[in-house]
Amino acid sequence: MTKLVVQFDKKSMTGNDAAAYAALYAKPKVIAVYPITPQTTIIEKLSQYVDEGKLDAEFVIVESEHSALAACMGAAWSGVRTFTATSSQGLLYMAENVFWSGYGRLPIVMPVVNRCLAPGWSIYQDLQDSMAFRDAGWIQIYTKNNQEVFDTVLQGFRIAEDKKIALPFMPCLDGFVISHTTAQVNLPNAEDSFNFVGEYSDPVIEVDTENPWIFGGLVGPEKFNKDRKDLMEAMERAKKKIVNMNKEFGEYFGRTYGNGLVEVYGDDVADLTIVSMGTIAEETQDAVDLLKEEGLSVNELRIRTFRPFPEKDIAEFAKKNNKFLVIDRSVSFGHDGQLRIETEAVLKRNNIDTPVEGRIMGLGGEDVPYTKITATAKEVLKE
Amino acid sequence: MKVTQKDLLNIPKKALLKGHFACAGCGSALAFRHAIGSVADKVILVVPASCASVYQGGGKGASFNVPTINTAFAASDAVASGVQRAMKMKGKEDVKVVVWGGDGSGADIGIATEIGACDRQENILHVMYSNNVYGNTGGQRSGDTMIGAITATTPQGNTTPRKMVPFILMANNARYVATATVAYMEDLVTKFKKAISMEGFKFMQIDSPCPPNWRSDSADSIKIARLAVQTGIWPLFEWDRDTGQAIISRPSQKYVDKENRLPITDWSSLQGRTKSMTKEQLQNLEFDTDRQWSFLKKFL
Repeated sequence: MTKLVVQFDKKSMTGNDAAAYAALYAKPKVIAVYPITPQTTIIEKLSQYVDEGKLDAEFVIVESEHSALAACMGAAWSGVRTFTATSSQGLLYMAENVFWSGYGRLPIVMPVVNRCLAPGWSIYQDLQDSMAFRDAGWIQIYTKNNQEVFDTVLQGFRIAEDKKIALPFMPCLDGFVISHTTAQVNLPNAEDSFNFVGEYSDPVIEVDTENPWIFGGLVGPEKFNKDRKDLMEAMERAKKKIVNMNKEFGEYFGRTYGNGLVEVYGDDVADLTIVSMGTIAEETQDAVDLLKEEGLSVNELRIRTFRPFPEKDIAEFAKKNNKFLVIDRSVSFGHDGQLRIETEAVLKRNNIDTPVEGRIMGLGGEDVPYTKITATAKEVLKE
Repeated sequence: MKVTQKDLLNIPKKALLKGHFACAGCGSALAFRHAIGSVADKVILVVPASCASVYQGGGKGASFNVPTINTAFAASDAVASGVQRAMKMKGKEDVKVVVWGGDGSGADIGIATEIGACDRQENILHVMYSNNVYGNTGGQRSGDTMIGAITATTPQGNTTPRKMVPFILMANNARYVATATVAYMEDLVTKFKKAISMEGFKFMQIDSPCPPNWRSDSADSIKIARLAVQTGIWPLFEWDRDTGQAIISRPSQKYVDKENRLPITDWSSLQGRTKSMTKEQLQNLEFDTDRQWSFLKKFL
């Protein structure tokens, strides 16, 4: 691929529009759709593109999310590029197929617009839905703004469809705060975008009448464990792939997100490091600036890629920093916030004694403004 | 178009290889051999959790000689939709996509997915081989279980009428709906080949004896299946959306008239699951059989 920095149109759009644009430009051949708030406007946009002839794809309007992912799985097994999107209860309704496509190594790109889980009924954001699927064998990247949604969905196709990776890809975006909020996106044109993604010409898997294979049939424990070990190794390779993709994307589009796995904001070393994901991480940047103005030493480590979990990057950053404050927007009931649990485990495993504090915030759409983050940081700094 | 006995002896492709895991006397495996074998090299199978996901074997001992995708219990018709749409995009519309599953998926857990695919007029064929139980899990009642039949979850005999899946799909505007049985294999394969040649969502239900769960002698499978037709329990018919009419298939024609039907006990006495049915249960089964026929007769 030739290195160039492409031209952009500065456009105002919602995060869902950004996801739909990225899907449009990647030209998936089969799109299966089912509505759920706050994801719905992604698939509505795509239906418009298909109807207007801007996108040549089979548009399958299914009767449930379970079938939406199943149809994408059928398309992925047939060796074509495929796309769907969901949220919350919809993701839960897909559950067995989420695991089936992860463990089956099917390169599907499926944005999850994060929304809390019922009861009670609420359509607002937290990360409980996608976090429930951290063990499903999907790559999960948590985006911080509309621009990153476009960029990540585009990158997703190349990461998922790499033969050495062959994993489904879940770009996560906070409901409403990203999905329905209009912000500026530097939108490359369709041609440049597709050039970056490329044709899906060498499928990782392809059902073929000439060469009959059985997919997902009976296996004994030996083959089963080998497959799971392969999946673990693919996740390890995915870390490198995400780093390289971030770099290549930067060369092509002139934009990167940390090293692809984590992104540092502020000074390299500080008295307190705030660790978080999604839009809380974006808000934390303002908090870091404000605290600095007040003479306090706080930086941020944003976890962009949650699966595979960037153990090395977190450990290295922790080694030179003094204290971690992990903000979770989801809970593993009976234990703690998942990000905190996993961050602490990584430090322990690497014999790093940087203390870790945790806070759970923003469940069910509770607002987490920078003022709240600064107040919490000050509180933790005092301890 | 009509398949003869001679055709059955010359199956174009060995779809089911030696050493498969099906039980002796399995109706599903027999139907598979002839039906899938008749479409040679142009088929992709989608198999939900079912006996077929077991008797296909695995690894080097795999017995399915056609490309096969195994799916979760309720996912097969949607996966098949995705496969067929992908084939269309690849310009391979000559490839036929067939769902091959039992009545657990076809009548119960997967029925929403199935009706969804029918509603969208997906160009696939769903074959539901009916052994009237969840066979793979040890023979529990399904929506397709006959009244009076003893299953692992109805030890006193099933009390509820059968879910009439073919009629459900007719009501949902399927392209073609047919019932068949392994006792009349020419009729079965003729219908299968006809279905697969059509565009749109096609559905076939096949009476498939299951010796372990029916507690019958494996040597009696064909006999029991034939008696199901002769007692009227299993009406053979096909329905075409273009005509909107049902046609009673030849083996069943004699039994449209209730007078000609053999007593249900001829059929029930050969199976452990039905042989000790009470008088009341037999009456209820007869009533449910009449219900099916009266429904079917509306389309003649």
